[in-house]
Amino acid sequence: MKTEKKPNITTIPFLGDIILSGSRTLTGIALGLLTSGILIALSNANPLVAYGAMIKGAFGDIYAFCNVLVRVSPLLLGGMGVAIGNKAGIWNTGIEGYMYLGAIGSGLVAIQDWGLPSALHILLAVIVGMAFAAVWGLIPGYLRAHRGVNEVTCTIMLNYVAIYLTNWLVSDAGFFAESGAFFPMSKIFQDSAQLPILLRGTSLHPGVFVGIIVCLIFFFLLKYTPFGFRTRMLGGNPNAARYSGVDIKKQIVLVMVLGAMLGGLGGAIEVIGLRHRVYSDFVTGVGYECIAVALLAGGNPVGVIFAGFFFAILKVGGATMSIETGVSSSMTSIIMALCVLFVIGVGLTDNHRVKKKSNKADVKQKEE
Amino acid sequence: MSYDIIFSWLQATLRWSAPLLLVAVGEIFSERSGIINMGIEGIMLCGALCGIAASFYSQNILVAVLATIALGAIMGLAVAYLTVSRRTNQVVTGLMVNMLATGATNLLFAMMSETRSTRVGTFPIIFPQAMQKIPVLGEIFFCQPISTWIAFILPFIAAVVLYKTKWGLNVRAVGDHPQAVATAGLSVIKIKYQAVICSGIFAALGGCVLTLGEVGYFASGGMTGGRGFIVMAAVVVGGWDPLRTAIACIIFGAADAAQLRLQGMGSVIPYQFLQMLPYLITVVALTGMVKSSHVPKTWGAAYDPDSH
Amino acid sequence: MEEPKFALQMTDITKRFPGVLANDRISLDCKKGEVLGLLGENGAGKTTLMNVLYGMHQPDSGKILINEKEVEITSPSKAIELGIGMVHQHFKLVETLTVLENIVLGIPSNKVFLDLEPIRRRLLELCQEYELYVDPDAEVWKLPVGQQQWVEILKALYRNAQVLVLDEPTAVLTPSESDQLCRAIRRLTSEGRSIIFISHKLREVVEITDRVTIIRDGKLVGTIPTSEATQAKLAHMMVGRPVSIDRRSRPALQQKKPVLVMKDVNALDERGIQALKNFNLTVHAGEIVGVAGVDGNGQKELAECISGLKKPVSGTISVNDTLITDVVADPKFIGFIPEDRQKTGLVMDFSVAENLIIKEYDKEPYAEKRLLNLQNIKEHAQDMIKKYGIKTPTDTVKVSTLSGGNQQKVIIARELDSEPILDIACHPTRGLDMGAVAGVHDVLMKERERGAAVLFVSAELQEILALSDRIIVLFRGEIMGEVDGDTADAFTIGQLMLGQALEEKT
Repeated sequence: MKTEKKPNITTIPFLGDIILSGSRTLTGIALGLLTSGILIALSNANPLVAYGAMIKGAFGDIYAFCNVLVRVSPLLLGGMGVAIGNKAGIWNTGIEGYMYLGAIGSGLVAIQDWGLPSALHILLAVIVGMAFAAVWGLIPGYLRAHRGVNEVTCTIMLNYVAIYLTNWLVSDAGFFAESGAFFPMSKIFQDSAQLPILLRGTSLHPGVFVGIIVCLIFFFLLKYTPFGFRTRMLGGNPNAARYSGVDIKKQIVLVMVLGAMLGGLGGAIEVIGLRHRVYSDFVTGVGYECIAVALLAGGNPVGVIFAGFFFAILKVGGATMSIETGVSSSMTSIIMALCVLFVIGVGLTDNHRVKKKSNKADVKQKEE
Repeated sequence: MSYDIIFSWLQATLRWSAPLLLVAVGEIFSERSGIINMGIEGIMLCGALCGIAASFYSQNILVAVLATIALGAIMGLAVAYLTVSRRTNQVVTGLMVNMLATGATNLLFAMMSETRSTRVGTFPIIFPQAMQKIPVLGEIFFCQPISTWIAFILPFIAAVVLYKTKWGLNVRAVGDHPQAVATAGLSVIKIKYQAVICSGIFAALGGCVLTLGEVGYFASGGMTGGRGFIVMAAVVVGGWDPLRTAIACIIFGAADAAQLRLQGMGSVIPYQFLQMLPYLITVVALTGMVKSSHVPKTWGAAYDPDSH
Repeated sequence: MEEPKFALQMTDITKRFPGVLANDRISLDCKKGEVLGLLGENGAGKTTLMNVLYGMHQPDSGKILINEKEVEITSPSKAIELGIGMVHQHFKLVETLTVLENIVLGIPSNKVFLDLEPIRRRLLELCQEYELYVDPDAEVWKLPVGQQQWVEILKALYRNAQVLVLDEPTAVLTPSESDQLCRAIRRLTSEGRSIIFISHKLREVVEITDRVTIIRDGKLVGTIPTSEATQAKLAHMMVGRPVSIDRRSRPALQQKKPVLVMKDVNALDERGIQALKNFNLTVHAGEIVGVAGVDGNGQKELAECISGLKKPVSGTISVNDTLITDVVADPKFIGFIPEDRQKTGLVMDFSVAENLIIKEYDKEPYAEKRLLNLQNIKEHAQDMIKKYGIKTPTDTVKVSTLSGGNQQKVIIARELDSEPILDIACHPTRGLDMGAVAGVHDVLMKERERGAAVLFVSAELQEILALSDRIIVLFRGEIMGEVDGDTADAFTIGQLMLGQALEEKT
């Protein structure tokens, strides 16, 4: 077979990949923003003014930016939880449920007045929250690994169960719910269990730093450890992983539980850092935003940081946009969804085409 | 007294199952063709709002249904374009369509504030008053709106279409071995588009039945409450067969209806636990199923026309 | 008006893929009632050419004539309309549908509902006529592979194919089924239909065809009448140099030290059907035991049981007295070249370097103190690339960009470099071209010399005969017979493959 290889930026290993995937994502986001702009215009607002308001809302002053930092924390942790699953070829769509369970677990500890030193109380609350979420994640993990139950449907069902469980706890359960509250909520957390505020006058808590550190840790784990190798191998080709002696079932459970723990950590930090109570639907929709974050990031932990910030900016800025231009803040989730849809719409086929090109060129290449 | 509760429960079971049945019928065709349309939750939501809005502005239920069908077809087309032509990941595509739908319905519903206070025209009850008065039967069956009756007949029609028509054969074949269909001279892409658009239409209709079947109002912020996901589970539990899936849908509908009834009775069990019931049953059913059942071979996988 | 002489003429067909010239001005023609052989190595461009004929690809230039009239074949349905039928190497049958439903799939009609009765009648007539019997109501996956091929042929005949392309039809057939196929082919040609017979089994091509067209590297080498062809000549034309698979000479086995011992092993396949029945086998150090048999008679399960991927229902398997209880991923112990490179043997998205250590990524020197040592991994990869002659630009490129032969080298390097006690090689040459095949054969012979016990599974009788010290023949999960490698002949083994036990000799 004659091969005529034309040099092309996309054929350069590594560098080509980065340029390609980066430009894909940016193109997708641009198209998403453009389409959303048209929708904003249709709802009788100037899109440029709206986006301007959005940027102002996110970066206008230090308080605005602190707000972004606060909002980004659950997105980073939850997004990483989904991303680690993606790397292993698993769709861990249960983040919302894990967040609720994490919040419940840490809440149960945080409302107790044990006279613990603050650091210890916080640590205990976080650990219990993560443990609750881990147990919750064990269910779909076990079912997927040992029974072959599709994890997407299963985790989504469990999300609803978690929501109703939280609902009950904050409205009816005497040991947990605030009695006589006009809105269902848990008792307020002890001061010792609340995360410190880093900047007076804002609600900035250290969650964002935890999120960034966790993402970096996972970047390292995936790239430089046997655990990461195993996980990527499972995602790349489960048959080959099994053939190489990986205990696939154990690895699936492990990855799902890890993802659940990250989600739980996100939920725990959200309540001990920001809300100081558990409310009935305090993270509604965040779980799905985390999936979008992981996707935009292409499962890459460093990408999760960028994608998480992008979404947090949209969310915080969206509120300002709503106030200043009268466009409903629901527009935010439309923008998010459109951006992701365009990224995958533009992206995967492109990727596919390039892959195939090189395949065709090389598969037929002569041996000698 | 206690019989009354059972009757009203049965009646509610039929009513709550109807939207599930409609959505499930479409989803079966889509999944049989290899495409998991996870966007049905969102399409349902849009159909629910579209039904209400069209019924409100036109004061005509038929117009509302037609508008819903058109919307469902367009959304199905969008999902088909992404998953079939662009070969995007079906899970992500569906979840993002749901996110988009949640945002869009909230946005539009906020703009249509006048529909909020008004109850709009709903699906009519076709049986005369006299028949509705018949004890038991009347209460359970004859006071159902026409939409419920159609929803219950539909799975049988779907079974005939799937197993006895040429198109049904094409759909079954495409999901299992698209290359075989291509070499037989048919267009795989076209058949997949048709199946996915079909799932879009039925999902939108399901949403429409949810709002116009009885209640006649829309509640913003996820009024479908994961019913689209429950349907997806029912399709899996039902082994991609219209009749078995219908049974699964009815069981979920019954759990849903029971939950509402028990909630009203002030049972000792907190009502939130009853609300969990349909979802828990789904998880248990998924677990208990059905590894033996026949999964379409290319379920969830993209079709590359150039691969052989 | 004279009856046209040629059923099909393809002239100067050129087909280019991005970066590849798959067909370079290839011409062939096929007379009515003729069997034309199409011969070429894997990747020579046969499949592309046939896909052009069947409307799956559009040629960049060139003409196609059917019955001496120029046609443009834009899609498979157009090809079917023009009377072209194709039986692909990988069957295009929907396994969950019945035979009848597969036949009816895609047949144009105005009816909404399926009307199977007339089709059933016509199908049964065709079965009778060509002696290719199948049950119209059986689901395809329940049929033996041979019969699935009949379904494919009947499908084409139902559509009244005048030119029938058979792509490697005998690869899945037992010798008697092959004979049946030959009879059907004779029958078809006597009716004036034309057959294009694609194969790389030279013996068959010589037996069955009237003329042979040989292509190499996407170019036409030539067309010769079969009467003037010998296997050696065809092979020479196909590869560009003389080749033959002769029996490799070997030193005699010194001492018999059992390595692999299987006792009364029973195992099920994926569908829960018994795949190995009371299986007993011993393989000694320094011998190659060839496992012959038609595909799907337990070979896959045999390899999977030994490597621990599949748990037998009963019986014991031991290697050097160690019982196999779990997946063996230690290439110092068992080297396993799996049947399907891409599905089992490699992670296609991983780099060459990573694929070289997927069994040892968590052992020294690749992992130290719970961290991967990327430097050692890279050095190992570069050693292996040099030692095994893996053709790759760097060790960091994805293994999916390598050719089949080089992918196989990656697996061989990984599995055999640590000198395992037992080698299991499953169809190690499948899909490779002749140069690469010879390379794999050399490797296996070297393993034998080194003193490894080698279990060599292949569907190609010739290579089994060339390499094996002993040959066992599998039939429906049992050893039908065992033959000494030096005295074995193809005929005896063919008989055994059909399930006819060797007559007891005293």
